[in-house]
Amino acid sequence: MNKTKSKVYYIAGFIIVAILALSFLFPLYWIISGSFKLKAEIIAKTPVWVPTRWVLDNYQNLLSKRSAPLFQIGSLVGPTIPAAFRWLINTVFMSAVSMLLTCLTASMAGYALAKKRFYGRALLFSLIVAAMALPKQVILIPLLREMSSLHLYDHIWATIIPIVGWPFGVFLIKQFAEGIPTEMVEACRIDGASEWRTFTDVMFPMIKPGVGACAIFTFINSWNDYFMQLIMLSSTQNQTISLGIATMQGENSTDFGLIMAGSALASVPIIIVFIIFQKYFTKGITMGAVKG
Amino acid sequence: MPKNTLAASRTRRLVLQENVAAYLFLLPFLIFFVGFVLYPMFMCLYTSFFDATMGRKDIFVGFANYRELTADPVFWVALKNTMVIVIVSVPITCAFSLWVATIISRMPVAATSAFRCIFYLPVVTGSVAVTMVWKWMFNNYYGIFNYLGKSTGLIEKSINWLGDPKYALGCIILILLTTSVGQPIVLYVSALDNVDKTLVEAAEVDGATPFQAFWRVKWQQMMPTTLYILVITTINSFQCFALIQLLTSGGPKNSTMTIMYYIYYNAFKLYRYGYGNAMGVILAIIIAILSAIQFRLGQEK
Amino acid sequence: MKKLLALMLALIMVFALVGPTAFADDNVTISLWTYPIGKWTDEATVKGFIDAFNEVHPEITVKVEYLDYTNGDDKINTAIEGGQAPDIVMEGPERLIANWGAKGLMLDLADLVPAGTYEGVAGSCTSADGKVYELPVCMTAHCMAINKDVFEEADALQYIDLENHTWTTENFFKAVQAVYDAGYEYVGTVFCGGQGGDQGTRALVTNLCGGTYANPEHTEYTYASEENAKALSLLCAQDGISFDPAIVASDEIQNFVNGTFQMAFCWNATQEVNNADALGFDVFPMAFPAPEGVPSLQGGIWGFGVFDNKDEARANAAKEFIKFLTEDDGIYAQVVEATNFQPVRDVAGVYEGNELMAEYALMNPMMGDYYQITKGWTTARTEWWNMLQRVGESDGTAETILAELTQAQDAANAAAAAE
Repeated sequence: MNKTKSKVYYIAGFIIVAILALSFLFPLYWIISGSFKLKAEIIAKTPVWVPTRWVLDNYQNLLSKRSAPLFQIGSLVGPTIPAAFRWLINTVFMSAVSMLLTCLTASMAGYALAKKRFYGRALLFSLIVAAMALPKQVILIPLLREMSSLHLYDHIWATIIPIVGWPFGVFLIKQFAEGIPTEMVEACRIDGASEWRTFTDVMFPMIKPGVGACAIFTFINSWNDYFMQLIMLSSTQNQTISLGIATMQGENSTDFGLIMAGSALASVPIIIVFIIFQKYFTKGITMGAVKG
Repeated sequence: MPKNTLAASRTRRLVLQENVAAYLFLLPFLIFFVGFVLYPMFMCLYTSFFDATMGRKDIFVGFANYRELTADPVFWVALKNTMVIVIVSVPITCAFSLWVATIISRMPVAATSAFRCIFYLPVVTGSVAVTMVWKWMFNNYYGIFNYLGKSTGLIEKSINWLGDPKYALGCIILILLTTSVGQPIVLYVSALDNVDKTLVEAAEVDGATPFQAFWRVKWQQMMPTTLYILVITTINSFQCFALIQLLTSGGPKNSTMTIMYYIYYNAFKLYRYGYGNAMGVILAIIIAILSAIQFRLGQEK
Repeated sequence: MKKLLALMLALIMVFALVGPTAFADDNVTISLWTYPIGKWTDEATVKGFIDAFNEVHPEITVKVEYLDYTNGDDKINTAIEGGQAPDIVMEGPERLIANWGAKGLMLDLADLVPAGTYEGVAGSCTSADGKVYELPVCMTAHCMAINKDVFEEADALQYIDLENHTWTTENFFKAVQAVYDAGYEYVGTVFCGGQGGDQGTRALVTNLCGGTYANPEHTEYTYASEENAKALSLLCAQDGISFDPAIVASDEIQNFVNGTFQMAFCWNATQEVNNADALGFDVFPMAFPAPEGVPSLQGGIWGFGVFDNKDEARANAAKEFIKFLTEDDGIYAQVVEATNFQPVRDVAGVYEGNELMAEYALMNPMMGDYYQITKGWTTARTEWWNMLQRVGESDGTAETILAELTQAQDAANAAAAAE
């Protein structure tokens, strides 16, 4: 009796979840199919579920609209390429560097917070916790002025630095490192290893899963972060792909075909990366959290 | 020299050493954290006492910005909307993802990971791309929501989803939900896997229904995960700027105005930096209180 | 770990190189940011002008950024705060004079505007204290447009003075009703999602019942009047006219072009030229409806402003560039033609034999006061679209609307007084 009831519940649940999953997949399908649609099908009152003809017009439009140099080092300017590709390069660079820097600084700081007793520890930790949920809009004006005085405005570093300063990574790794037995660290110290060696040889390998989670978080966060880019970047060649699409929608607000082409370009690479590394992704995310 | 003083001085040296080492490890992070989070935060507080605008020196005005805030109806609407977004989306995200996780964790492994992957997709798709496609789907004139609504008879006339104060905030929250359940689902699935099976079986032997077993055993064991999810979802809800800026710009009739967008609006549309900063300070205080409550809860468990 | 570190260091070094490097030689780099003004959004067109300029001045590099009316202002404002304001901005007096000029951020271009040359618009390009912050290039009278095919089908052309492109308020509403009755749900839409293209809604509201927007002295706003309240309540009550707070003018234009809307309130010659490929019907430009059929159209003036970046070399280069574009009649004519608007000074050979431009030139005599340089303009604009959102949601009675208008006008006038 109880068993059948639970079975019914399970099957009903399965059906609902399957429908939900479809509706989660739909926007992605709509982006990709929309990017191949003709203008008339985009604005059709009765939605065209599958493009009658898959056309590349939107992509041609996207790539020919704006151009930017591949690179610029001083007065040495690289070959001109479609701006969208430059935006992708910038985005990859920004996300990768943010990720590396955050993992490095956060694993060191997280270790110190978890395993070291020092003056101001409680204060620092509460500052970190309080700053974690802080929306960047709060510090928007002072940060902009600061970047301006450092001559970093309209420079990709202006978007990287605030991400590295965001303390969530430290929090994550601190939580993780607390689960590592202190004796291990101390044993190493008694053996006469230096502080740095203790960290790199003993601690780091053990907090690796936490660092992995931190890496995934930071990468996705900076890939998706739009606000800092909106504020800090202005020139076409320094923009990121999110900002590029947002700008395009300002110019051609209802040309959804073009916007979908941009969106597809922005999301498909990272989705492919995600699907390939799916196992590591989910493992990393859960490892970082569950141990905490 | 007496022995104990020697020991004391050695301890002191060790303590000092520990402190120095700790701060050296913290240093790289502190440079970024102090320089680009705490310092701007302090400047935000400082500037909030000034009438600051573009193209001239700031004028000290004391608490005038804060007094004006209390009398600004838009600020209160924005505060209310911000709270609504957080208060509605956080529990729904948690409950929804827990429910989905309980269903999919009972499936075969391949299906579990496929579903986990699908629910995580909107997170990796990117906030701007997601926002754009929803904007199209919500379009008053050729969006699919109006088509589906009308063809299934659920709605009689086209609804201007993002242009109607009754629906706009709900639409924003809906989009926010789709982009925030991915991670909690992943976390809950693995938390459910890690639940001590013997305890569940023991409860069932004692005659507990699956539902009771769930609440008494699994839910208790998943408490740390839940708290962690609460923290990240709260953070996520406070960060929903792109949705507002790209979909509604705070409208219609300020029905989707949030503090985060109102700060931006004041800064770059009305050139009121001091006023925007005063709002930032209030928001920071609210968030600090919320975080404190969450962590107090976490410690108690 | 070591590999990771090495990789990171390498990356950082590469990027340090890519970073902003000072130019050591005599070369000057200036930036030109343009709003979407005709073909000035098109990379190839703009590059053509820059290439021609570089033949004369190879030492000056001009970098171009393209702005839009939705985010352009925010972008310039953040750039100003970011310490990297552009050198040249191509836009109109409402921004160059009433906004950034009033904040003391622009350079006086009096030496580039010889007396008498730009008589018609010089006043609008000069600040209250006599500084010329805009070197004007082109102008237009903003109008509206209808889908002539649909109007014909709905038998609504009878309400229009086809020769003069005008209509009375009464006929306007009759025409809208006719098109609506012919099965078109969205005849016209009062867009109010933001400030983009708000000249259209301003002109529509103020002309319908003979109201005004600001006083002739440009010192205060006068739109909270019985006339404007009546106009708005008529619009609220009319079938086929809706208020849409989810869209701005650029959306409206595209919805008009793709046939969703049957008229556009934000229109001018350049819209027809830029959308020529996408237009599948006959566009008929119209003046805004007015009680007697003679409206006061909203003018648009575009030109160049130069930001004061405290760098003489760049300022001179910027001036050199805009001088190059405007001084020689031949080049100036091309510059104007690239905007699809009318020239602001006498020049031979612009739009010779261009029927489309001749059609739009009919609007010019109806051009009214250029009130966009009234103090407190940025606030007045934001208040306006917010007000329209509230009106769209209101019960539509003239009393309620007047209260909303008054609230918006008070805020705008307070901002004007504070400036």
